[in-house]
Amino acid sequence: MAETGNDKQQFSGEKIKVVSFRLGTEEYGVDIAQAQEVIRMVEITHVPRAPRFMEGVINLRGQLIPIIDLRTRFGMPRIEKTKSSRIVVTDIGSKRVGIIVDSVSEVIDIPIENIEDAPEMIAGIGTEYIQGVGKVADRLIIMLDLTMVITTDERRDLELLDSQLTAST
Amino acid sequence: MADEVFDRSEFIAYFRDESEELLQQIDADLLRLEEFVQTGTPEPEIVNSLFRALHTVKGSSGMLGFVDVQTLAHKLENLCDLLRKDRMPLSEGSVDILFAGRDFLTDLVESAVNETPAPHGLGDYMGRLDQFAGIYEETSQVIEGKTGSEMEFDAASGQSDVSDDQIAAFEAEIERLLAQAGGAPPAAAPAVAEPAAPAPEIAASEPDAAVAGVVAAAAARRDEKAKDGSKRAAGQTIRVDIERLDTLLNLVGELVINRTRISDIASTLSRLMNDKAIAAPQALIGPLAKDLANSAAMLARTSNEIQESIMKVRMVPIGQVFDRFPRLVRDVAKARGKEVQLEISGAETDLDKTIVDEVGEPLMHLLRNCVDHGIEAPDVREARGKKRAGTIALNAFHEGNQIIIEVSDDGNGIDLERVRARGIKQGLIGADDKLTDRELIELIFTPGFSTAETVSDVSGRGVGMDVVKKNITRLKGVFDVDSIAGAGTKFTIKLPLTLAIIQALLVRVVDELYAIPLDSVIESQRVELPDVRTVHGNEVITLRGQVVPLLRIADFFELGGERDPEKVMIVIVGLQGRQVGLVVDGFQGEQEIVIKPLSVVVGRIPGISGATILGNGQISLIIDVHSLVSEAYASGDVARAEYSGV
Repeated sequence: MAETGNDKQQFSGEKIKVVSFRLGTEEYGVDIAQAQEVIRMVEITHVPRAPRFMEGVINLRGQLIPIIDLRTRFGMPRIEKTKSSRIVVTDIGSKRVGIIVDSVSEVIDIPIENIEDAPEMIAGIGTEYIQGVGKVADRLIIMLDLTMVITTDERRDLELLDSQLTAST
Repeated sequence: MADEVFDRSEFIAYFRDESEELLQQIDADLLRLEEFVQTGTPEPEIVNSLFRALHTVKGSSGMLGFVDVQTLAHKLENLCDLLRKDRMPLSEGSVDILFAGRDFLTDLVESAVNETPAPHGLGDYMGRLDQFAGIYEETSQVIEGKTGSEMEFDAASGQSDVSDDQIAAFEAEIERLLAQAGGAPPAAAPAVAEPAAPAPEIAASEPDAAVAGVVAAAAARRDEKAKDGSKRAAGQTIRVDIERLDTLLNLVGELVINRTRISDIASTLSRLMNDKAIAAPQALIGPLAKDLANSAAMLARTSNEIQESIMKVRMVPIGQVFDRFPRLVRDVAKARGKEVQLEISGAETDLDKTIVDEVGEPLMHLLRNCVDHGIEAPDVREARGKKRAGTIALNAFHEGNQIIIEVSDDGNGIDLERVRARGIKQGLIGADDKLTDRELIELIFTPGFSTAETVSDVSGRGVGMDVVKKNITRLKGVFDVDSIAGAGTKFTIKLPLTLAIIQALLVRVVDELYAIPLDSVIESQRVELPDVRTVHGNEVITLRGQVVPLLRIADFFELGGERDPEKVMIVIVGLQGRQVGLVVDGFQGEQEIVIKPLSVVVGRIPGISGATILGNGQISLIIDVHSLVSEAYASGDVARAEYSGV
């Protein structure tokens, strides 16, 4: 179906290019237009008292880029960074933000008719972060709404914390 | 299509900048014009300058199709033309209607650029403007004997509102015009005498009564706009002296030369490495190393100079802010029935653009305060043996790495007894408290404090001085007040020249480096642990007889880490007269740092004002001493030792 959460797509038969990456067992994707570059893990300067999901800031060629740990953001268990951990530097509006992912898979084309609206709940992540789900062969790629990912909303953070607490008890 | 090639937005941005400048110019001209109201004949050069500015606004708005702006500019230009050709006398009424027109013009430019609806009351004003101009246009036509017979007047309306004085004034006006028209044909005289009955209507629409409404409406709109805050459109621009850009270009040229040199060295080096035939490369590498060292030194010098130049590009004269104050002082003085002269000096003093943009509002508050509270009413001043017109001096100059801005008046001074009475009434101090003069003056910075008897529309709402102080502090500035009872008040603002580069002390806390701005650092100390004592469980040290509370940064930022069991490293910072010792894990020396804001995504973090990138690429967060200490006080992390009498 051509109805998707992605407002850029108007014509059926069109494809979008997506940078796909892994987080735990799931595969996610962001529109390549929003992905600036993918870099290896670098030293991250911790910013005290920042929101919990804010891992810190990095120096990217003289520019300060805030780094969000997507696992923390989505309430998933934190893991040690590995050799395959990557930072996807994204451009959302005028804001440049890096997100830490477990690994980056590839850039793939997804026909927009293969993207469906997000189901109510995926793996405990609120649907507000999800634009849709793309199907490529037997893979499911969760399309992220980056604007929501970087939005600091205390109320939502609290809800997230709550759901984590109830999940762990 | 041509439309797509033509980038309108660029022109609009230019139009906005240009109009802003021209409107400032118009304001300045009108103020000068007003000085000639008494004589009735302005200096032609002023009127011409006014005319030219309006004409340019008209032209460029017409080009962009901003019809409203164009129309109003045209009408105002007409009015100036009447002035210029001496067909309209220079009166308080005419200046006021020009001032009001200038305000509408400002709003119209703004609404044209932002595509918002035209300002409220524009139609009304245009109507009055037409009426106002019409009188003189027709009068002059009468004098020239052109359309005398075609004139029609409604004699019935408005007659009762008009005093004999006004009629007399109008007749005098006509006489004056007639006298000036000198060479007009004699036939014109009866034509003027004829409309004796319509005179009242003309008189009623001409003088201040009609204008007063417009002016009041304009003032109200200005206040409304002030409430919106300084909502600045994105994409700020700056006008730069071409010489400064040339310097920058030269420096970049040097940089490029240097780049070539370095890549030459690199390629020579790699050739040497790959050429196995060369047995003893040392002899060849030696000169290369020297070359490289030279290049590095040159690079360092050039980049320093580029940094300095680019700072200079950001510097703009503070006059850009000062320019709007004569008008403000005039309006406030008029509203309060006071006579005030504003003397400005040092308008050419350069300051970073961001600071210039921010300093306007606090200065505006201060000036309003001076007019409202400082300068006495003309009669009171006369009775005290002062000149009827009070003087407010606005002065700016550089001092070392700072700019000093002084606002002083020769008014009443701060009435300390009234401040005390007010303080007691508002429960800020006890009735028997013994306060020094300085402490009493400090009271006026308390939020909600005001000594004004009545809440006026100018000041006296109880906001102001505390806001001023807060704004100045935010700009890393210092704010001071001096006052002599009966002789005047002087406000002194000290600001750093730029906010982008500061001297900082680098300290290590657990495993991160933090930068503490040097302007708030008093000294750094190593203190043995036995010398650290506690007050109510909070750590303090005694420094030259003074008890200084300690604040462990690692604890405040929840960084963990282990405490040194033997000693503490302390950076003593000063903040509004009180001192706090920040406990760190090591000193890493002083350094000039470039401030970079943390992303909006990170949000505001108490205790952190930004970050900087050090020479080795490492990031160091910059400590915001002010918010760090006040947050620590608020949460009780720091002993209130100075109040506990230890």
